[in-house]
This record gives sequence, structure tokens and C-alpha cells, in this order.
Amino acid sequence: MIDLNAEKQVNKRLVEYAAHAKGAIALAIVMLVLAVAAQLAGPFVAKAIINRHIMGIQQVWYEVTPRAGGAVEWEGKWYVRADRMPAQSKRLNPHTLVAVGTRTYFLDGVVSHVARGNEAGQIREQEGGRSQLITARPLTRQQLFSFYRPEIPGVIRLALVYFGLLAGAAIFLYGQQYLLQVSANRILQRMRKDVFHQIHRLPIRYFDNLPAGKVVSRITNDTEAIRDFYVNVLANVLSSIATMVGIYVALFILNVWLGLMASILIPILIVWIWLYRRATVSVNVRIRALLSEINAMLNETIQGVPIIRAFHREQRTQAEFDELNQAYYDGQTRLLRVNSATGFNLAGVFRNSFFIAVIAIFGWRSMHLESLVSFGVLYAFVDYLNRLFQPVTQVVNQLANLEQARASAVRVFELLDEPGVDPVFGSIPRFCGEVEFDHVTFSYDGEHNVLKNVSFRAQPGQTVALVGHTGSGKSSIINLLFRFYDPQGGQIRIDGVDIRTIAPQQLRQHLGIVLQDPYLFTGTVAWNVSLGDERVSRARVEQALRDVGADRLLAHLPNGWDEPVLEGGSTLSAGERQLISFARALAFDPAILVLDEATASIDSETERLIQDALSVLKRGRTTFIIAHRLSTIRDADLILVLDAGEIVERGTHDELIRLGGKYRQMYELQTNMAPASGA
Amino acid sequence: MFQVLWKLRWFFWQQRKRYAIAVGLLLFLNFVEVAPPDIVGRAIDLMNQRGMTAGTLWDLVGALALVIVISYTCGFTWQYQLYGGARVLELSLRKRLMRHFLQMTPRFFEQNRTGDLMARSTNDLNAVSQTAGFGILTLIDSTTYSATILVTMGSLDGWRLTLLSLVPMPFIALAMTKYGKMLHERFTLAQDAFGDMNDRVLETIAGIRVVRAYAQEKHEEERFAATMADVYRKNIAVARIDALFDPTISMLVGITYLIGLGYGTYLVFQSQLTIGQLTSFNVYLGMLIWPMLAFGQLINIMQRGNASLDRVNETLAYKPDVVDPPTTVAVDRPEEIRFEHLTFRYPTSDRDNLSDIELVIRRGETLGIVGRTGSGKSTLLRQLLREYPPSQTGALTIGGVRIEQIAMDIVHGWLGYVPQNPMLFSRSVRDNVRFGRHDATDAEVLEALRLADFVKDLERLPNGLDTLVGERGISLSGGQKQRIALARALLVDPEILILDDAMSAVDARTEAHIIESIRSVRQGRTTLIASHRMSAVAHADWIVVMDDGRIAEEGTFADLMAQGGWYAQQYERQQAYGEEALDDSDAIALAEERG
Repeated sequence: MIDLNAEKQVNKRLVEYAAHAKGAIALAIVMLVLAVAAQLAGPFVAKAIINRHIMGIQQVWYEVTPRAGGAVEWEGKWYVRADRMPAQSKRLNPHTLVAVGTRTYFLDGVVSHVARGNEAGQIREQEGGRSQLITARPLTRQQLFSFYRPEIPGVIRLALVYFGLLAGAAIFLYGQQYLLQVSANRILQRMRKDVFHQIHRLPIRYFDNLPAGKVVSRITNDTEAIRDFYVNVLANVLSSIATMVGIYVALFILNVWLGLMASILIPILIVWIWLYRRATVSVNVRIRALLSEINAMLNETIQGVPIIRAFHREQRTQAEFDELNQAYYDGQTRLLRVNSATGFNLAGVFRNSFFIAVIAIFGWRSMHLESLVSFGVLYAFVDYLNRLFQPVTQVVNQLANLEQARASAVRVFELLDEPGVDPVFGSIPRFCGEVEFDHVTFSYDGEHNVLKNVSFRAQPGQTVALVGHTGSGKSSIINLLFRFYDPQGGQIRIDGVDIRTIAPQQLRQHLGIVLQDPYLFTGTVAWNVSLGDERVSRARVEQALRDVGADRLLAHLPNGWDEPVLEGGSTLSAGERQLISFARALAFDPAILVLDEATASIDSETERLIQDALSVLKRGRTTFIIAHRLSTIRDADLILVLDAGEIVERGTHDELIRLGGKYRQMYELQTNMAPASGA
Repeated sequence: MFQVLWKLRWFFWQQRKRYAIAVGLLLFLNFVEVAPPDIVGRAIDLMNQRGMTAGTLWDLVGALALVIVISYTCGFTWQYQLYGGARVLELSLRKRLMRHFLQMTPRFFEQNRTGDLMARSTNDLNAVSQTAGFGILTLIDSTTYSATILVTMGSLDGWRLTLLSLVPMPFIALAMTKYGKMLHERFTLAQDAFGDMNDRVLETIAGIRVVRAYAQEKHEEERFAATMADVYRKNIAVARIDALFDPTISMLVGITYLIGLGYGTYLVFQSQLTIGQLTSFNVYLGMLIWPMLAFGQLINIMQRGNASLDRVNETLAYKPDVVDPPTTVAVDRPEEIRFEHLTFRYPTSDRDNLSDIELVIRRGETLGIVGRTGSGKSTLLRQLLREYPPSQTGALTIGGVRIEQIAMDIVHGWLGYVPQNPMLFSRSVRDNVRFGRHDATDAEVLEALRLADFVKDLERLPNGLDTLVGERGISLSGGQKQRIALARALLVDPEILILDDAMSAVDARTEAHIIESIRSVRQGRTTLIASHRMSAVAHADWIVVMDDGRIAEEGTFADLMAQGGWYAQQYERQQAYGEEALDDSDAIALAEERG
């Protein structure tokens, strides 16, 4: 079930994001290449040591003047390796150093193609079709070592080169890994910034439909998974690929034939990865879904044990959980089987198969006297083969993570693709506060109108109360006034201007709201009043808090206005939270204020305090009250009674009571409610 | 550090066959895996010495082929068995934790925060299970495997070359341990920063209406940028250490190679080593890298596993507060609930939360309980749930038998309980309502929902009865949740229905309506109602007014009104002041009208 197009799309966008750190990534890749080159030069050095300095002495030697550079004494005369002689110098008294079995001989004359003789101390020289037996004395250890002695400085020199390469590789490796991590983090920062920005562009409707936890997890957890993607892809896969490419380059430099032989591995590898993905993708998805279900159920159970026990559900709950747990276990076992069958076990099989091939081919050739490659090359080849399988396993191990990251990326990009509107800032002059709804019709879903042809006008400074049952349209009026939504029909005007011509953020500069369940942010009490807005000075914050009477109610806080507010204000009482949000509204000094009355029961003293604060708050501004207690709106200038999206009654309290309609009915139900038994 | 293995001995014993196979094969493979380099070395020597014959070639190739077959089969088997063991441990521990949680009473959950218990059931469980899988592998590899390789190497050259080449190896282990520690410290800081960021975002989303209404988008973005900068800094600090691992290892391993090659060459010059042996020797050196790394990881895994196992065991060791007595008394039917001078105190409380309660509720009666917040209404009701060890003074009897002598299953079977903050589960509305009786038909579910006045709401839910609710489903208002919880309790048709301020978020009119419905179906059954609304209990056969854990007033509605005490005052105040809300107190009221 992999949609190829969508997959390509996701990959493309992930690459586009990577472009934000292209400088660092490019530098890292350069360092990576250097590091890999330095690392892979190692076997070349080893090859040089073996070929040049160990096997290298097995060749023709010529006599030179005593104690010449690199010369070796043999039976009173001095000899030097043919390849170390100047080109023009005379070649005198040739001798050949040959190894047969574990013995080494220094033979008179130029001897090629030797083999072990039939008896000890005999060697067979083979040339063309004929062979000839030579009797010779093998070199003693000391004698042999004297032939090696001139090689020591060369070996030391190569060792130093090797060490230099190592140090270089280490430095480049560090630089590369560090830079890639920096890049991944920078890309991630950019992506989170974009997502967070997008949050502020989205229509409020988005948040009404999606639980907060899910949105948060897009911004944090999903992006974190994407970071793993970049770190893994960049650090592991990239360096694995670079290493493999490097190894192949080295193999081809070493010997084209060996390089070609090792190339067989590439198609094998591709098929391997393809098969592995096919076998595991669906299991992986299932396992992840199950795990999140298991954790959700654990979480829910921990919170719901009293209910589960009271409803006598322990056994069923346990059985349901066991079923999930078992399904998860089964999935994991299946995955484990695939991983055990592939993974490093399979890599081992491939590696050893290559060893078999090497032994078979070279062994066969050595038997038939066609020396194809030197032993130094063979040594390097074995070494490279060993190294080749490390990156392979690394790539295979990363596959599961890549799938997960891609799934996260899909979710993040989905969020980023949601249509939204950029906030527009900049101040506009304060409103006088005249609000007019002119034949406003509105629907959330385009089917059911929640407001039907609503018209009313509020004069500056007036208090308008909205009354009605759930679903009657009170809150929608506020949603429209704040431009959280726009109406389908009619116009809303403030001071005679259609609010659709004013950017929402500018409009809201002069609007204030107090929510039913006031939301407090982590910070201090004072911060919650100013929201960190520099336009609201500390003096104004304190003044606002005093004006709403918060100084009396919050007197007990040890740090005064700087008392920290924790966990959404859960440490404060409902009344305290209410007052702080009143102070917030007051400090921003809006021309138009909306109050969503709290329903939570508050003790009568706090209740009085809040009523006082309200009257302070309403002074000099147009105020809309979503009323739950009719007793609090008796002095409103205009009461709008809503029912099913229509204004069914309007007027002052006295007018509406006199009218004897719906309002009066509600009022009487509230104030003179008979005992429920009589209802 | 290795105590963790001892503490898990029950598990290893239980899975002894599995572990015997896995460990046995691992040990066996130690020897098999040193063979290929040796075979390759021999082959090179034979070629070098012109001693290769068809026979020896076949022998070598055959030997390698055999190694392939053996190491693949054995490799598969041990990996499957060993990691399978880790999975079994995870499975069984998780099962045990769940069973344990289900036996726990509120006291346990008061002492352990949800987040903490979740961490134990997830992260700690992982760490423990890793110990039983990967931990065992690193243990074997860092000890016996490295020993096997060392012995093989030593026997090649008589130890000189081996020991000399190994000089850098301890430094690898040392560096890894040191880096590991630094990394852990920095990683913890980075995780904390991540947690802060998470909280930051959650706050913004939860308060999005405030942010929007006050046009604080720009400030929010600035604050978030600062948080992200902190996360970035701390992640880079991690990266600085993290990037050290590979270069250090490759450097030290390189030095090991260098010594091996340099000194090995010298030994070849001295005729003490053949070229083939030198080649094999270097392959062995390469094979030693992993055991060295494994050693560093071993320490890490064992330490983490030990700490995690301790935490899991600590949780599992918590004894249930409330257990059934060895012999229980059978009671067919809860005829009469009687509080006899019952005095009760929460385990963490320093004063009595209920004092000298004297109360009789006959089968079929309705009891109303009112009183201030904290006066003991819930405490009184919850005595029936048996969430705490029985009270020392006084007694609560059902049908004449002390409640602690009746099997808990029996008691719970009688109850229908609706708490003030109803908890719904992440499943469909239907399954939530059927929570106490999973075989109920849709008709029964709908009837329960009708009684709870939820039918109208149901029509508005996107998928009706199949709508997913709870934490992972759509968000419901407090009143809607309360009504579903009520339907859940009504469906069970319990002998004793407990409504603990169960309709606080439902408007007065609806509540009156619901109470009327409940009364009609509760004929002959006992109902206990606690409420803040005086009117909600007006119909009860008996009303008690709680104050500071005592019964301050009691009587019928008429009695209490005549007394003119607290109840009468509150009743009148609520009537006059219009305390009653018109509609559901939705948390996010502005969103409530969505169709």
C-alpha cells in the first residue's frame, strides 16, 4: 500500500527542506569524502608494505660496490635489489631470492618459476616445458633478516603515512558528523518554525475539530521523527553510501578484475533491501499502531481504574489488554524472524561466499601458475571486502526508522498544506464601539444555518446581553465578531466599517474577551495580564489587577503579582482565574468587550467581587455578555433572546418581562423553580 | 550492576530452554566465527608457498561453505531465541503491570502520578527487556567472544604481537564509557528542553482563542523561537559529544591495525610470522572492535536495566490496599444499607473525614446528600465502593453483613456509579454505554441514552452510536460526558445507583428532566444522589446535609424546609439568585454550537 506519487512528493519536500542547510551539508559531504578516502587509503598502505617490502625482496639482486645504499652482504659480496638500481648502472652477478614453502633461498643466476623439489634442500625450476632440479641451502633467519633490513625505513615511512591518514580521517569524520547533526537540527528548527507559524494561519475551525494533543504531536513528536530521518539519512545512509562507493573505487584502482567481481554485490544488495522492505513495511506499521494503542489503553486504565472496578470490568479489561499485548508480541516476533533471517546473518553469508570465491579463483590460478594479482593486492581485497559489509548492514538497520520518519513527514506536510491566512499586524485607530449586525446568516458546515438573518445594533458604551439555550447561536455571534469565522450572508460593521475589510489581528486590537473557563498560561500572574505584550506596561498591569479587585482575592500569594502560574492555572481557584482574565481584558483597554459568563459555582463573596469587577470592566466600552444567569443582566441596555439562530425577542429586561414571552418563561423557571418532583 | 540478571533469575529459569539454546549457540559460534580468517590466511600462505593443490583447495572451500551453513543456521537460531526472550519478558511484565493496576485503589494512584506509571510501563519496561536480549549478547560477546579471538590471535604468534596491538583497546572502552556518561548528561538536558517545548506548544494550542483574541501571534512565535533556540543549543551540545564516538573508535582501531601491521611486518622479516598469518591477524583485530564496543554498551544496558527493573518491581510490590477476607459472607440482595456510627479518615488525612455517621437506607429508597464542597458528600458515597481499608470505628453493613465481609465482586456487581468528573474511554459511544454490560443490545443502549437525555445530542454526533469519544475521539462538553456516564450506569440497571454530583455540568432543566426519568425506572431500587443543587434532591425519601464530615441536618424535603436550616437557606438563595445555568458549561464555550 505504498502510494508511489505521494512517496516521491514527500521525498522531494524533505530534500527541499534540506536545502535550508545546504552549505553545511555540502561542507559535511566534502569532509565525508575526505574521511572515507583517508580511511580507505589504509589497505593501500598495507598493500604497499606487503608488496614492496615483504614480497618485494623476492626478486633478482645484482652485485654492487660494498656498503652501497640498500645493499646486503652475502658471502663477502654486496647485492642490491634490481628495482632499487639506477637505470643506467651495470647489472653484474645476478642472484635470485626465492621463497619455496617456508624456506627462502638466495640462488645464483636469474631464476623464475620455482617449486618445491622432491627432497629436502632441492627446488625445481620450471621454465617453459622443461624443469630442472637445483640443490641449495635455505637462508637462516639471520641471513634472511639481513635481506629485509634495508626495508625497515621504508616500512616506518609508510606507517607514518598511515598514521597521518588516520589522524586526518578522524578529524574529517568528526567535522562531518558534527556538521550533519547541526544541519539536521537547523532543518528541524526551520520546519518547526514553519509549522508553528502555520498554527497561527489556520482557521480556528481546525482546532475545534482536532484534539490539542494531536496538533501538539505534529509540531513536536512528528518533527522529532523527521529529525531522526535527517540524522540517519545524512549521517548513516550517506556515509554508508560514500564508504561503499569509496571501497568500490579502491577496488577498481587495486584491480579492475577484482572490482568487477565485487560489483556482483550491488544488484544483490538492491534486491535484498527491496525484499526486506516488502517483508517488513506492513508489519512495522501494524506494530507501531498496536504499541500506541497499548500505551493509550494503559494510560486510560491508570486513570479509569475506579470506574473499571466499580463496573466490575477488571477481567474484561485485562482480557482486552492481553489480546492487544499478544498481537503486539506476535507482530514483533514476525519482525524478529525477518530480521534474524536477513540482517547481519545474511551479510555474513555474503561475506563468506565472497571469501570462497576469492579462494577458489586465486587458488586455482596459483595452481596453474598464472599469477593474476599480487599478494598485497589480495590482502587489501580481503580487507576491503570485510569493510564493505559494515555499511550494508547499517543501511538495512536504518530502514525501519526511515519508514517511521516518512509517515511522520506525511502528517507534518499535511498540516503545512492546510489552507490558512497570514496574520497582518499594524495598528489601526481605536473604535468608538458601534457594532452592527446587518442580516447576518452563517453556517459552520455550509448546510445548517446556525444564524439566520440576524440584525441588531449596539451603540458605543452599551451593554448587550445574549440569551438562549445551547445551539441557539449566541457563541456564533461572538465568533463572527472576532472574525474567527466569516458569515455567508449579510454584513457586520463596526463604526460603520465592514469588518471583512479589516485584518483579523488589527480588528482584535480593540476587542477584548473573557472566556467562560479563563485560560491561563504558564508564567506569572502579571505576565498573564500583559501576555508579554510590550504595549502593556507593568504599571498598567498592576492598575488593572487592582481595579478588578484582584488585590483582595490574591493577597495570599507569597510572591504577589509575580507568583508563578502553573499548569494552566490549576493551582488557582475558578474565581481567581476569572479575575485575572478580567484584569487582562482591562489592561488591553478594548473598545468592545465580550464576556462569556462563568457557570462554575463560586462562593458568594467571590461572586460579589466578580460582579463589582464586571461593572468596572464594562465602563466606557461596548460590552456583549453571553449570559447564563438572567439575574446578572437585568440592567443590560439590550437583551437579545436567541432561538435556533434567530433573534426571537429583543428589548430591556423590563420590556421583555412585560412582553411575557420566552424570556419571561426562562426567567421564571430560573427564579421560581418548583421542586423537580413537580416539574 | 549485574544484579539485574540475578533479579531476573525467575525469568531465565522459566525460559531456561530458550536461553540455553541461545547462549550455547553464541558460545559455539565464537569458535566458528574465527575460522574464516584462518582459512583465508591459510589459503594465502599456500598460494604464496606454491603449495596449493586441488585437494587442499577443495578442503578450504568446503570448510568455508560449512562455516557459512553453520553460522547462518546458528546465527538465526540464537538471534531469534535471544531477542524472542526479551519480547517474552516485555509481554509478561506488561501483563503483570496491567493486572496490578487493575487491583489498585485510589490511594495507589494518588501516590503515583499517571505520567510516572506510564513511564514505568513503557520506557522502563523497554530497558528491562533490552537487558534480557541485547544485554545478554553484549555480555557474551564482550567476555567469551573477545577471549576466543584473543586466544586465537595469541596462538598465532605467541602473544607478543597480540598484546602489543591490544594496547589501544582499553582506551576504546575507557573513551566509550566516558563519552557515554557525558552524552547521557547532555541528552537528559536536551530531553528536558524538548519537554519544555512540548508544554509550550500545548499551551499555545489550548489557549489559541486567547492568543487570537488578543492578537498575540507574533509574541507567541517569538516565545516559541526562544524555546526552539534552547532546544537547538542543547541538541548541538549532544551532537558535539555524539560526533566524537566514531572518530575516536576509528582512530584507536587504526592505531591497533598500525601496530599489528608494523610490528607484524617486522616479525615476518624475522621469519616468526608468515604473510598469511599476518593477514589473518589483522582480520582478527577487526573482529575485536565489536566486543570492545559491546563492553561499553554492556555497562550501560545493565545499569539502566537495573534501575528500571527496580522501578517496575517497586510498582509491582505495592500490595493492594483492599482485599477480600479469606472467608466471605454471601448476601443475595442488598436489602438495607446501614451506616452504624461510621467514622472514616483517608490514609493521608490528619483528621476524620466522616464522623459518627448514622444512617439507614432501605431497598428502593432514594437518599439525597447535599453540603458544601469538602463537607464529605463524596466520601460518604464512596464508602460503598470499598476503595479504602475498612474503617476502624463503626460499620457499614449491607443486608446486615459488614461490607468488608462481602466479596468485592458481589458488591461491585450491585453498583452503578457516576462520578462528578466522568471518565469516558476511547471507544464508541455504544461501547462506553455498554461498559458494564457488554452484551447489551442497541435498543437497550438507546433506552439508557434516552433516560440520560442524550438522544438529541446523539443525533448531532458525526457517527451516532459509533462515534469515537474519550481522549482519542471527538471532544464532548462536560455535560455530554456526564450524561453518557449516566447512561453507562443506568444500562447496568444496578441495585444501588450512586450519583456523585453527576449532573453538575447539566443545566437545571435537563437535570430535572433526567431525575424524573430515573425515578420512573428506579422503582424498588436504591438510589443515592449527591448534588450542589438543592432542587436536585428535593424528591428524595430522605435528605442529609453534610458539614465537616458530620450529618448536620436530615429529613424529608418538607422537614428540612420547615426547619429553616442550611438546606432551606440554600434552597431559597438558589431559587432567588438564579444560580442555575441555562446550558451546559462547555469548556470551550465558543465552539459549542458546531452542528
